Amino acid sequence: MVKVPLTSNASYIIRQLPAPTAFIDTNFNIVQTSDKWTSLFNKNDECSNSGSLFEVFPDLSHKWKMVIENCFKGNSQPMGIHKAIDCDGQELWFEWTNAPWYDVDENIVGAIIQLSNITDAVKNELELNKKELFLQQQAEITKIGRWEYNIVENKLFWCETTKAIHEVPRDFTPNIETALFYYKEGHSRNTISMSLFEAQNKGKTWSNLKLQIVTASGKEKWVMAGGKPIYNKGEMVGLIGTFQDIHEQVEAHTKTIDNEKLLRTLIDNLPVNVYIKDTESRKVLINKAECEYLGVNDPKEIIGKNDFDLYPLEAARKSRAEDLKVMNTLKPVIGKETKKTTLDGKVTSFLSSKIPLLNSKGIAYGIVGISLDITRLKEKEKELRNIINIASVQNKKLLNFAHIVSHNLRSHSANFSMLLNFLENEEDENEKTKIVEMLTKASNNLLETLDNLNEVVSINTNTNIEIKELPLNDKILDTKQHLSSLLSNNNATIENNVPEDFMVHSVPAYLDSILTNFISNAVKYKHPERDAKVILSAEKKDNYSILTIADNGLGINLEKYGKKLFGMYKTFHDHKDARGIGLYLTKNQIDAMNGKVEVSSVVGKGTEFKIFFNEKN
Amino acid sequence: MKKISDITIIDDDAITVFGLRKLISSSVECNSIASYANGKIAIDAMNDFFNSKQQIPQIIFLDINMPIMDGWEFLEAFINLPIREKIRINIVTSSIDPRDQQQWEYFKGKSHHLITFNQKPIDRNKIVEITQVA
Repeated sequence: MVKVPLTSNASYIIRQLPAPTAFIDTNFNIVQTSDKWTSLFNKNDECSNSGSLFEVFPDLSHKWKMVIENCFKGNSQPMGIHKAIDCDGQELWFEWTNAPWYDVDENIVGAIIQLSNITDAVKNELELNKKELFLQQQAEITKIGRWEYNIVENKLFWCETTKAIHEVPRDFTPNIETALFYYKEGHSRNTISMSLFEAQNKGKTWSNLKLQIVTASGKEKWVMAGGKPIYNKGEMVGLIGTFQDIHEQVEAHTKTIDNEKLLRTLIDNLPVNVYIKDTESRKVLINKAECEYLGVNDPKEIIGKNDFDLYPLEAARKSRAEDLKVMNTLKPVIGKETKKTTLDGKVTSFLSSKIPLLNSKGIAYGIVGISLDITRLKEKEKELRNIINIASVQNKKLLNFAHIVSHNLRSHSANFSMLLNFLENEEDENEKTKIVEMLTKASNNLLETLDNLNEVVSINTNTNIEIKELPLNDKILDTKQHLSSLLSNNNATIENNVPEDFMVHSVPAYLDSILTNFISNAVKYKHPERDAKVILSAEKKDNYSILTIADNGLGINLEKYGKKLFGMYKTFHDHKDARGIGLYLTKNQIDAMNGKVEVSSVVGKGTEFKIFFNEKN
Repeated sequence: MKKISDITIIDDDAITVFGLRKLISSSVECNSIASYANGKIAIDAMNDFFNSKQQIPQIIFLDINMPIMDGWEFLEAFINLPIREKIRINIVTSSIDPRDQQQWEYFKGKSHHLITFNQKPIDRNKIVEITQVA
C-alpha cells in the first residue's frame, strides 16, 4: 500500500517555498506544489496536484524515473538541466534537483523536486559559445589572432590563429618570454618589449605596431600588434591584444613602392622627356628632363596644366588636336620630328612620340609622351650639311681648277709641239726665225700662266692666313697712289665716302689686291663717252663690313655673263688689257677669308660690287 | 681632193692660228683662210655673209675658251642661222673637261652641220682628215 503523506498542515508552508518545488508520491504523482511552481506551469494559478510528473512534462527523459526511484530509496542523484515550457509557451531552462521526502516516521513517502531557473545562464553560455566561434572564424578569415596574458598567474594564451602565425603546433604553450623572443632582434623586439613594459607600468595601450617576427620555422614575417591592459576592480590583472599577419600586405606594399621607385628612377634618369596627359591634355606626370625643359624644379608646378598654359596658342592648338587624334584613333605617333617653342621663346627640336594609354575596356584615358631633344643633333646636322656644302663647293672649285690647269698647260704644250714640228721640217730661214719668235712667245705665255696658277694655289692653300683689323681709308689712299698713273691717264676720279676710322678684317695683301683689281677694272672698262668715276662707300651689317665700289662704266650683261664673271681667263670686254685673271684671284681671296661678293650692273650705265668682309675672323 | 673655197679659224691664241694656217695651207688647196680672235667677231662676220648672201665658209676651226664670246656661244648663234648648206665645224681644244664633250654631243644632235671634236695638238694627217667638205 502506498503511503499517502499528510500534507494538510504542511501545505501552506510548502506553497511559500521560494523556489519552484513539487512533491511527488512514489507513483510520480504530483501531490503538492509551491506557488512558484504553480505560477510557472499552471494557468490561472490553479494548484496542480493532479497527474503524474511524466504526464505534466512529457519531454522528460524516462531515465529520470530510475533517478527518482533511487531517490525513493534514499539515494538522491543529480538530474541535470532540462528544458521546460511554461504556461506562456516560453522555453525555460531549469536545473533539476531532487531529495527524498520523509514523513514524521522517517519513512520515504515520495520525492521533493526543486527547479532552479538557469535560462539566463544557459542563454549567456550559448551566446558566449557563439561569440567564441564567431571570433575564431573572424580570426581565421582576417588572420587576426588574439592573445591574453594573465599577470597574476603569469600565463599567456594564444588563439589558434596567433599560433598559426607563429607557425607553432596547436598544443604549443607560450609564455611571455618566448613570445617576446619570436620578435625579430633589434627594432621589433625592442619596440614590443617597451610597449609591454609601458602597458604593465603605466597602463598604456599599443596598437597598429608594424613589427617583424621570426616564426618557429625561421621565416620572417610582418605582423601588426596591438594590446591593452585589462582591469578587475581597478587592478590590472592582465593584458589582451591582437596579432595580425600583414606580411602579404607589407610585401605587396613594399613591392609597389619598389616598383614605383624603379619606374620613377627609370623615367627620371632617361635622357628623354616623359609625360603623361589625361583626356583633357592636362599633365598628370612629368619626369626630371621635362621639368628641366619647362624650367621648373618641382613637377607639381606643371601637374594639372595643359598645353595652353605652357605653349603659345597656335602650337597648343596643334598639340591638342594631335593628342585627341591619338586618343580617338588609338594609333600612336612615333618618332615625329617637331619643333617646340616655350612661352619664354626657347626653341627646341624634338623627336616625339605619343602613345595612347588604354583602360581595361580598351578606351584611351590619356597619352604617354616621350620626346627626345635633338636640338644639338639638328645643329650638328646643320653644321655637317654646311661642311658638306663647303666641301662640295671646294671640290667643284678644285675640279674646275684642275681643268683650268690642264687646259692651260695642254694648250701651251700643244703649241710647243706644233711649233717644234714646224721647225724640224722648215727650210726657209725667215720662216724659221718666225717660228723661233713664236716659241719664245709661247714660253713667255707658259711662264705667265704658271705664275697665275701659282698665285691661285697660294691663296687657296694658305690656311693660316693672317687676318688683321685694317683702316680701310689708309688702304684706299695707298691704292690711289699705286694707280695714280692709270687714274690720271684716264682722267678718272674717285669719290671716297668711306667713314673715317672704318676698319675691316682682312689679310693686308688681299685687301690691296681687292682694291687694286676692282678700282682698276672700273677705270679700264669705262664708258667711252664719259670720264670714269668710282664711288667708294662702306657700312657694317650682320657681322660683315661691306665695301661698295660703284662705277659709271660699260656695265656687264649679268644675265649672260653673271656665272662666268669670276671665272679664270673669262673676259667680257674687248680690251687690250683684259686677261681674265684679276677677278678670279680676287674672288678666291675673298672666299679664303669667308667673305662674299655681290654684283649688280646695268649695261651702258655702270657696275656696283659689294665686297663682304667677315667680321668674325 | 675636192677644192675647198673658204676656211675660217676662230681662236684667240695667235700661235694656234699661225700653226693651223701653216698646216692648212701646206696640206689642202683653198681659196682663202680667214681668222677671228673670238666668237663675237666671228659671228658678226657670219651674219654679214649671210645677210649679204655671200658664201659661208665651208669649214670652220673653232676654239672653245675665248674671251667675250666662247666657242659654245658662237655655235649656239651659228646653228640658229638658217644656212642650207652643210658646214663642217671642227672644234679644236686642249680641254679634257667632260662637260665640253657633253656640249659637243648636245650641239651635234641639234644641228644638220657636221661638228667634230678634236684635241690639240693637230698634226698634218689630222688636218687632211678634217679639212674636207662635209
